[in-house]
Amino acid sequence: MEALGINLGYLLIQIIAFIVIYVLLTRFVYDPLIAVLRDRRTRIQRGLEDAEKAASARMNAAAEAEKVLQQARVEAQGIVDEARGRGEEVAQQVQQDARSEAETIRNDARMAAQAERDAQLAGLRGQVAAISIAVAQQLIGASLDESRQQALINDFFAKVPDSARALSGDVTVVSAMPLDDAEQQKVQNEIGAESVVFEVDPSILGGLIVRSADQVVDGSVRSGLGEMSQRLG
Amino acid sequence: MTLNWSGKRRWIALILVLASLVVMFNWPPVVPVIQLPGEIYPSGEVFGLPITNTFAGSVVVWILILVLIRVVGSRRPRDGGEVPRGGFYNFFEMAFEGLYGFIGGIAPERYLGPIFKMFMTIFVVVLLSNWLELIPGIDSIGFLHPHVHEVDGHTELLEGFDTATLGGVYYVNGQCPWVSPDVAATMSGEALQARADAGCHSGIPAMEEPDDPAEASDDDHADEAADDEHADEIDYHHVEPGDPAVPWVILPYIRVPSTDLNMTLAIALIAVVMIQVMGFRALGIGYLTKFFNFSTLLKSPLGGIDVAVGLLELIGEFAKILSFAFRLLGNIFAGSILLFVMSFLVPVIVPWPFFLLEFFVGIIQAIVFGLLTAIFMSLATVSHHHDEEHHEEAAAGAH
Amino acid sequence: MEEAVVVAGKAIGAGLAMVGALGGGIGIGLAVGGAVQGMARNPDHTGTIQTNMILGVAFAEAVAIYALVVSLIILFVLS
Repeated sequence: MEALGINLGYLLIQIIAFIVIYVLLTRFVYDPLIAVLRDRRTRIQRGLEDAEKAASARMNAAAEAEKVLQQARVEAQGIVDEARGRGEEVAQQVQQDARSEAETIRNDARMAAQAERDAQLAGLRGQVAAISIAVAQQLIGASLDESRQQALINDFFAKVPDSARALSGDVTVVSAMPLDDAEQQKVQNEIGAESVVFEVDPSILGGLIVRSADQVVDGSVRSGLGEMSQRLG
Repeated sequence: MTLNWSGKRRWIALILVLASLVVMFNWPPVVPVIQLPGEIYPSGEVFGLPITNTFAGSVVVWILILVLIRVVGSRRPRDGGEVPRGGFYNFFEMAFEGLYGFIGGIAPERYLGPIFKMFMTIFVVVLLSNWLELIPGIDSIGFLHPHVHEVDGHTELLEGFDTATLGGVYYVNGQCPWVSPDVAATMSGEALQARADAGCHSGIPAMEEPDDPAEASDDDHADEAADDEHADEIDYHHVEPGDPAVPWVILPYIRVPSTDLNMTLAIALIAVVMIQVMGFRALGIGYLTKFFNFSTLLKSPLGGIDVAVGLLELIGEFAKILSFAFRLLGNIFAGSILLFVMSFLVPVIVPWPFFLLEFFVGIIQAIVFGLLTAIFMSLATVSHHHDEEHHEEAAAGAH
Repeated sequence: MEEAVVVAGKAIGAGLAMVGALGGGIGIGLAVGGAVQGMARNPDHTGTIQTNMILGVAFAEAVAIYALVVSLIILFVLS
């Protein structure tokens, strides 16, 4: 041992020195440095994560912007469409109004014309009746009193056929001469329908044609004459 | 900080090469005395311990480590956000981080801290010790020492050289190996004349001695040297430097501490003890079953083999101490001898690659010492038995 | 004369002791050769192979170092 230079004192000094160095290095170099390295690694890790997050946030923002833009575009389109639709609607409304007004005016005009014609026909009615009665008196040689004569005339012009009494709904009554109010009231009562529209058609000669939605009762003189001529012929 | 020498450095190198050529021919180098134990300082003892130059080398290493601690402590960033700004600290941190990752790949995660600290401390201490041998003058500047050897109360003169001075500084004269007066008496006249021409003092015949008393430092000693029959009477431990009566050698002030068995053995002992400590820490008292494995002795016909293997492992632990200690000592001692023998044979250019070689040997031995310790510590944490190993892993996984 | 015989004996002994370095040399050569082959075929495991190679080289080298130490002791310690 002596020849190899091993000396217990030096051996112990070296061991103690090594332990002291170990403690000093651990306290002042290793622990702080390892902490710094770990801290740095976590920071870098966090930085990378943040960058990733920022990138994804940016992409999300872009997508969001795109979405908002798309939405705005759709909304704008909707507004435009709505405006256009409303414009069309308004135009249509105006057109409609104009049309209906025109219609009204036309109807008024027609009604006025009808009334005018009815008034003329009403004027004629008495004369026609008087002429007919005069002709009949000539033919049958009999004379009729005034009231009976009037009833006849009324019957002639405003007799409601029997089968028309059961009609319902909207009914149109066609007469050869315009009926006066009392007659219209009577006809309506006899038919029993709620709403009756009265029309004038001199070509039926006399009597009434009652038309409902699905049925026509022809009580006109024209049809009676037609039947008669068939029977005679 | 950055010096831009650009073209100047090559001229400085050339001048140094030329200067060393001049030195080589005028003052030829000398092979130092080679001995394994540290050379003892002539100036007494401290606490009963004779101071050796390897111990002085250890002190130098400790001072360097303190400087390292100071530098790292003052330059290190306070947290991970700070970026180090170059310089030595940055290099140290790079090496530190690299080695930390290196050991992280070997040691188990749970014991990485203590294993790495052990590795790093061994690495730093051994590396600085090894690299001391690269510093010029470490093996060549020292005390002038009379090369004598005490045997049975009789003083024996060994090989050595004459000394000379240059500007008040003594050096051993490589041109004048010391010869005893007895040998000188047998030498031919021409050889003696050649020695006298080279400026040697020893072995010059007695009749010439009185001619140059001024050259000898002291008349008394000159007389004693001349008095060749009474050489034994000289007090060899109190001769003046330069006395031609004794052979002189250089006793270096500092020698590489890795060439001292005390240092290598100390670190080897600590390493092996720490390996056992790590084993007990990881496996508890069960670590002993690695060495004393009687569990299969009665169960299986080959149980005896396990017992023998355990005992071999126990011997292996002691072999590790010797292996650690002598591996480092052998490498660095041989490297140190290689360096100064090469410097002696051809002082210029030829030793340079050997310095480079020793630079790497220093690193490799430091890494091998630390790495083997780290690996043995890692192995000690693993249980010997496979079933226990799985159990341990399951327990570790549960945490 | 006697001293010269001692020196001669030391030198011969030291030289013979260094024959032990032969084994270390062969061992290191085999280990490094195998490791380099392994690394060439399997570059992904270079780190592991290197670690084990250094370990093996250190063990093989230890034998040569023992021989060296013995020879150094013969030369410089024996007296």
